[in-house]
Amino acid sequence: MSVAEASPALAVEALVAGYEPDLPIVKGIDASIGQGDFVAILGPNGAGKSTFVKAIAGLVPIHAGAVTLAGRPITGLAAHLLVRAGLAFVPQTENIFASLTIDENLKLCAGVMPAGKRSERIAAMYDLFPDLAARPTTPAGALSGGQRQMLATARALLVEPTVIILDEPSAGLSPKLVGEVFETLARVNALGVTIVLVEQNVRAALGVARTAMVLADGRIVHRGPAKGLAEDPRLGEMFLGHHAAAGETA
Amino acid sequence: MNAQFIVDGLIAGSMIGLGAIGVTLTYAILRFANFAHGEFIAWGAYLALAVVAAVPFGMVPIGPFSFGWMLPIAAIAAALLTGGLAILIDWLLFASFRRRGSATIIMVIASFGASLALRSLLEFVFTSKPVYFTRELQIAMPLGGGLRATPDQLLMLGVTAILVIAVHLLLTRTAIGRQMRAVSENPVLARLAGVDVRRVIRTVWCLGGALAAGAGVMAGLLVQIRPYMGFDLLLPLFAAAILGGIGSVPGAILGGLLVGLCEALAVQTVGAEWRAAVGFVILTLVLLLRPQGILGKAAT
Repeated sequence: MSVAEASPALAVEALVAGYEPDLPIVKGIDASIGQGDFVAILGPNGAGKSTFVKAIAGLVPIHAGAVTLAGRPITGLAAHLLVRAGLAFVPQTENIFASLTIDENLKLCAGVMPAGKRSERIAAMYDLFPDLAARPTTPAGALSGGQRQMLATARALLVEPTVIILDEPSAGLSPKLVGEVFETLARVNALGVTIVLVEQNVRAALGVARTAMVLADGRIVHRGPAKGLAEDPRLGEMFLGHHAAAGETA
Repeated sequence: MNAQFIVDGLIAGSMIGLGAIGVTLTYAILRFANFAHGEFIAWGAYLALAVVAAVPFGMVPIGPFSFGWMLPIAAIAAALLTGGLAILIDWLLFASFRRRGSATIIMVIASFGASLALRSLLEFVFTSKPVYFTRELQIAMPLGGGLRATPDQLLMLGVTAILVIAVHLLLTRTAIGRQMRAVSENPVLARLAGVDVRRVIRTVWCLGGALAAGAGVMAGLLVQIRPYMGFDLLLPLFAAAILGGIGSVPGAILGGLLVGLCEALAVQTVGAEWRAAVGFVILTLVLLLRPQGILGKAAT
C-alpha cells in the first residue's frame, strides 16, 4: 500500500485561517477525511464553514496549522497549483464562466491534464452529464441554475481530483433541482471521489453524506455519522449555539 | 464633401484600433486604465528605428513601397522588445501594487508616472526632433470614386486586418486565449480552474505592448516618429476602447476605425485644429448614451 493510499484523502491539523491575521475566523480545526468519504460540513451562519473550505482551497490566508492531501503537504499552495495536486473547489456562486461556452469551460479546466488525456476526460464528462453534451456550444451564461451546477461539478470532476469541495451547491436552486444536484454528487462519490460538501440545507446534505461535521464559531463541535443526525435533538442546539451542551462527539 | 476622408480615416483608425486592443485587454484583465499604453506606441516606433539605423543595409525600397525588408524585421524585433518592456514595467511597478491590493486610482496614477518617465527617457535618448524610417516619396494611387492611397497605406490596412484576425483567433481558438477570457470574467474562478493568472497577465502585457509597437511602426512609416506620438494618441485610444466595448477586441478595432473616420471627417468639415477634440466628444457621448460600448455587455 502506498503512502497516498494509506493516508486520509484530506487532513487538517490545528488550522487557523481568516482574512486578517489578528481576526481568525477558523480557530484551530483538526479534521481527517477518509478516501472515498462523503462529508457534509454544517453549521449556523457565520460558523466559518465557507472560510474553512476556502482556506483549504488556497483562497483565504492560513495563519497556522497544516493541510495534507493524500499525505502530501499542501498548506499555503496557490489555488491553481492545488487543482493540479488533486483538490477541486466549486464556489457557491459564480462557479462557471458565463461568457465561455460549455465546451470552452471544460477545455479550460482540461488544461491542467496531460495533453493526451484532455479529450478523453471531456468526453467522460459529457457521458456523465448528457444534458451538457446536448449543447456544447451554448454559452454557459444561458444555462439554468441546475445545469450551471452540473457544469460546475463537471469542471471540478474533469481533472480527476482526489477531493472535491463544494460550497453550498444548493444555494438558489428549487427543491427539485437540489434533489438532482445531490443525486449527481452521490453518483460522483460512487466513482470513488471524496466529497466535502458545505451546506445550509441540512436535511438534504445529511440525506447523501456519510459523515457530518458541525462547525460553530470557527471550531468543530460535532463529528460523526450523517445517518440519524437530522433527528438528533442536539443538532438544533448546535445550530442555536449551545454546542457546549452538545459537546464534542467525535 | 470629399470622400477621401474615408481612406484617411480608415488608416488613422487602424493605428488607433491596434493601440486600443492593448488598452481594452489590459483594462479587462487588470481592471485599470493604463495611461502609459500610448508610450508603448512611441517606444515601438523608436525601437524599430534603432534596429533600422543599426543595420546599414536592407532599406532599399521593395516594389511600390517606401521601405526595404529590414523594416518588417525591425518591426518584429520592436514588437518583441516592446512586449518585454511592458512586462518589465508591470514587474517593476504594477505587480507590487497588485500584491498590496492597492486601489485602482493608485494604479492609474502610477501609470501616469510611468508614462511621463518613459516619454522623458525617449526624449533624452532620441531628442524631440521628428525622425523618419524613410524619406522615399510615394505617389498616392487612384482607388476609384475619387479616393487615393499610397502603397504603404494600403499595406498597413492589410497588416492591421491580419493582426486583428490573428488576435481574435488567439482569443477564441487557443488555450491561452480561453485563459485570458476566463481571467477577464472571474480571476478567482480562473485560479480554481488551474489557470496561472500571473502568466496570463504577462501574456496580456506582452500582447498589448507588441500590438502598440505595430501601431507605432505604422505611425512612424505613414506620419513621423516623435516622443509625443503615443501620448497624442491616448485620448483616441481610450475613446476607441470604450466605444467598442471594454474587453472586446473586434470592438476596439471597430471603435478605432470609427474614431479615425470621425477625426478625418472633422478635419475636412470643421478644420484640423478640431481633430483632437473629436476623441473627447466621442468618449463623452458613448459614456452618456451607451456606456457598455458597441460590442460590450452591459453590467448586471
